[in-house]
Amino acid sequence: MSAAPTVADLLADPLLRTARTLAGHAGLDRPVTDVIAYQGALDAIAGHLVICDARDAAPAYRLDALVRRAQEAGAAALCVTVDDTDRPPLSAVRLADRLRIPVLWVPTDDPFRLALDLTLRVRAPEVARARTVETLVRRLAHHTEGPDLIVAARSVLTADISLVTPDGAAILGDPVPPDTLRPDLAVPQRTARLLAHPVHAAPPAGHRPGGAAPVPAWLLCPVDGVDDSRAETIALGLALLEPFIRSWLAGARTRADHDRAARRRLLTDVVTGRSSVSRETVERAVALGWRLEDWHLGLFVRAGHTPAGDGPDTFVTALVAALARHGLTVQAVAEDDASWDLWASSTRRPATDDPRRLLRDVRRALAELPVRRRLVAGIGRPHQGPGGLADTLTEARNAARLAAAREFRPAVEHTDELGVGQLLAAWQQSDITRAFAETALAPLRDPEHAHLLTTLRVFLESGGSAAATARALGLHRNTVAARLHQVRDRLGIDLDDPSYRLALQMACRALTGT
Amino acid sequence: MTTPPTAPAPRHTLTAARLPALAVGAQLLGSGGGGEVATGALLLRRELDRTPVTLTPAADLPPDTVVVHVGQGGAPDVLAERLADPDDFVRAVRTVTDVTGRPAGAIGVIEVGGLNTLIAGVAAARLGLPLVDGDLMGRAFPRIDQTVTALHGLPTHPLALVGPGGDTVVVQDCAPRRVEPLLRANVLALGGAAAVALHPLPAATLARIGVRGSVSACLRLGERFLAAAGDHRTTPDDLAAALDAELLAVGRTEEIVPRQDLTPGWATLTDRRTGAVVRVDLLDEYLAVTVDGVTRAACPRIVTAVDPSGRRPLRADQIRTGQHLVLLALPALYDWPAEAAALVGPAAFGLDLAPAPHRTPPPGWGRRTEGNRV
Repeated sequence: MSAAPTVADLLADPLLRTARTLAGHAGLDRPVTDVIAYQGALDAIAGHLVICDARDAAPAYRLDALVRRAQEAGAAALCVTVDDTDRPPLSAVRLADRLRIPVLWVPTDDPFRLALDLTLRVRAPEVARARTVETLVRRLAHHTEGPDLIVAARSVLTADISLVTPDGAAILGDPVPPDTLRPDLAVPQRTARLLAHPVHAAPPAGHRPGGAAPVPAWLLCPVDGVDDSRAETIALGLALLEPFIRSWLAGARTRADHDRAARRRLLTDVVTGRSSVSRETVERAVALGWRLEDWHLGLFVRAGHTPAGDGPDTFVTALVAALARHGLTVQAVAEDDASWDLWASSTRRPATDDPRRLLRDVRRALAELPVRRRLVAGIGRPHQGPGGLADTLTEARNAARLAAAREFRPAVEHTDELGVGQLLAAWQQSDITRAFAETALAPLRDPEHAHLLTTLRVFLESGGSAAATARALGLHRNTVAARLHQVRDRLGIDLDDPSYRLALQMACRALTGT
Repeated sequence: MTTPPTAPAPRHTLTAARLPALAVGAQLLGSGGGGEVATGALLLRRELDRTPVTLTPAADLPPDTVVVHVGQGGAPDVLAERLADPDDFVRAVRTVTDVTGRPAGAIGVIEVGGLNTLIAGVAAARLGLPLVDGDLMGRAFPRIDQTVTALHGLPTHPLALVGPGGDTVVVQDCAPRRVEPLLRANVLALGGAAAVALHPLPAATLARIGVRGSVSACLRLGERFLAAAGDHRTTPDDLAAALDAELLAVGRTEEIVPRQDLTPGWATLTDRRTGAVVRVDLLDEYLAVTVDGVTRAACPRIVTAVDPSGRRPLRADQIRTGQHLVLLALPALYDWPAEAAALVGPAAFGLDLAPAPHRTPPPGWGRRTEGNRV
C-alpha cells in the first residue's frame, strides 16, 4: 500500500472537488492517517482529518475552539461540511492560518456520504479503487461511441482524459502535448505530468502475441499534483477504457472504409453519367443527401504529406470542419488517402462577386489545418445539375494543378482567376520550363548575341512574320532574314515547325520574364 | 499608586468635580454595555450643583434603613435620545415606599456600570437621601435578575415603573423568573424607556450581601483612567497597570458580525504585538475575549475596550471595522461564586465556551477582591 495521502492529495481528489481551503495552507502537506467525524470529543486524533458539520461549528466561537483543540490534538486538518448559506467566520480563518492547520470548507448535501468516502479513500484506497472500477465498467458498458465513452470515463474518474494521435493532435477531448511520452514503446507510461495508455490497432493477420502492434492513438490524462493512489486508479481506469475505445475505433474505420467506397462509386457514376444519370444513381445520391439538381461549386484538395498512423477520415473531418467554419458546407468524397473531391450545393446560383471571397475563405480554412500536410486546392466555377457537378470538379482539379506549381503551402487557386496568360505564366515560372530555356537558348545567351535573341523573340511574338519583325525592330527585312538565318545556324532548329516555335516562345518568355 | 478601589472608603460626598471620574469609571465598568453615560452625567451635574450627595457604605446606615434601588430601564438608544425627567425617579421611589409603607432612607445603585450609576445619584440628589456606596451587580448586566440579590433568592418586588408621561406601573408581587419579562413588556408599553425603582432592602441585608464600595471603586477607577489617558506617553501596558487590569489585546478590528436577536455576535481582531487572533463575543456587552482559540476572559469578568488614540472607553455598539482597540480585563468588584455561572457566566448569554486553562494572574491581580464577599 502506498504512503498515507497528504491533505493536499485529498484536496486533489474528486471527492473534495467542491472544497475550498479557507485557511492553514501551510499545513497542506500533513499526512492524513484516518478520518473522523467530530462528535464533541477530540481524543486520539493525531493525523486525522476531522469532519464536522457547520452546525456543530457555529457560532464562531465553537469553530475557533474546534480549530484550537484540533491543532492541539495533532489533527491533520479540519473539514467543515456546509450548505450554501454558511459563511466562514474570519476569526477561525485567521486562527487556522496562525496555527497552520488546514480548514476545508466543503459544500455538500450529504456529509455522511462524504465522511464514508473519505474514510475509504484514506483507510482502504483499494476498496475505493474497486468501487471506481466497478462504476466505470458499468458505465462504459452502456456506450459504444468514442465521445460517450470518454465522457463516461471522465465523469467516473473525474479526470481530464483525452484520446490523441501519437503526435498530440486531439481525436477526442482536449489536445494534450505528449510531454516526454515514448510513442515508440507500446506500453502504458507515466511521466511526472501525464498518464498514457496506448490504444492498439486491431492486430494484422498473422500477428504474433507480444509483437509490436501499431499504436494509432493514446489515452492521456494529466496528473499534475495527483498522489500515487489516485494515479493508480486513473491508470487502471485508462486500461479499462482502452478496449472500448479500440473497439470503437475499429468499428468506425470499417464503417468509414465502406462508406468511402460507396461514395466514391456514386460520384464516379454521376461524373461519367453527366446530365443523363440513371434513376438509381439519383436515388443513391438522395440517400446520401446529395442534391444533384442544384448549383454546385467544386473543390479539389490534395495533401502532399500524410502522417503515418493517421486515420483516413480524421483529416477530412478536420478539413470539412474548417471549411464549415468559413461558411462552406461541403460534401466530401475521398479519391484516395491524400486527395478529396468536395463540393457545396445551393438551390440558387451563387452571386457573381463570390469567386474572390470564396478563394479567400478557402485559403483561410486551409491555413487553419496543419501546414505539414502541404495542402494544395483548386476551386471550380458554379455549374448546375449533375453534369455541372462533373464540370466544376474538373475545373477544380485543373486549378489545383496550377496551385501545385506554387512554391508555398497551402496553395489555393480558382478557375476564374486562371486564364491562358496565367496558365502560361505559371508554366514559365516552373523550374522545368526555366531549365529548358537555359539549355535551348544557351547559344544566344552571351551579350554579343543579344540582338539575335531579341530578333528571335520579336519574330515569335509576331506570329512568325519577318516583315512584322522588321517593322517592330525598325530594321530592313533583309537584316531580319539574315539574323534569323544566324539563329537557325546557332540553335540548329527549324523555325518553321510550329512545335519548335511554341517551345522557343515559352523559353524566351521564361528567360526574359515577360 | 493610589488607594485600592475597594479599600474601606471613608464617608464622603459626591460632588460635581468628581463627576467626570464617576462617568468614565461607570463606562469602564459597563463592560461595553450599560448604556450611554453622557446624558446621565449632565443630569447628575445639574443636581449636584444644587445638592451634593453623601456616599455611605450600607454598613454605616442604621440596620433597618430602607434602601430603594433606582435606575432607568429600556433600550439604550431610546435612553440616549430621550432625556429622563428626574422627577420620574422620585415618583418611582415614592410609589415603592407607598407599597411597603416605610419611607426610603437611602438610594441604592442597581448596577455600577453605565448610565444607571449616574441615575441613582440623580434620584438620591432629588430626594435628598444618601447614596449607598455599593450596587447589586458589581458591573453592568443586561437583565434585572443578574444581581447578587437574585443569587441570594431575595425578591425584586415591589417594583415601580414610571413612564415619561407620568404613567406608573406598580408590581406588588412577582416570581423571580417573571421580573425580567414583566419589566421588558412594560417598558416597551411605556415608550421604550422608564424610571425603575425596586429592591427595597434593609441596609443590614445590603451590608451583608451587596457589592460593597463599588461606587467609590468606580470613582477611583475613573480617576486613574483620566490620569493615565491625560498623558500622551501612556502605552496600553501603562494603562493596564494604572487600572490594575489585565491587558488582553491591542489590535485592529477586522470583522464585526452583528448579534442576531439574543444570539451573540463577535468581532475579530489581530493583535498587533503578537499576531494572535482575538475574538470578542458580544451582545450589548463584551461577553468574552478569546485569544488564539483560548478564552482569556469571560463574563462576569469585566472587559473594557479603549480607543488607543482618543483614550476613551468604547461601548460594544461603538466599535467599527478597522478600528484599533485596547482590550482590558478589569479587576472584579465582586467575586461571583461558581454556582452563579448560569446567572452571569457565558452560559447565561448562550455561549458554550471552552473553559480557560488556569493562568497565573499578573502581580497584584485579584488582591482587591478579598473581603468583597461576606
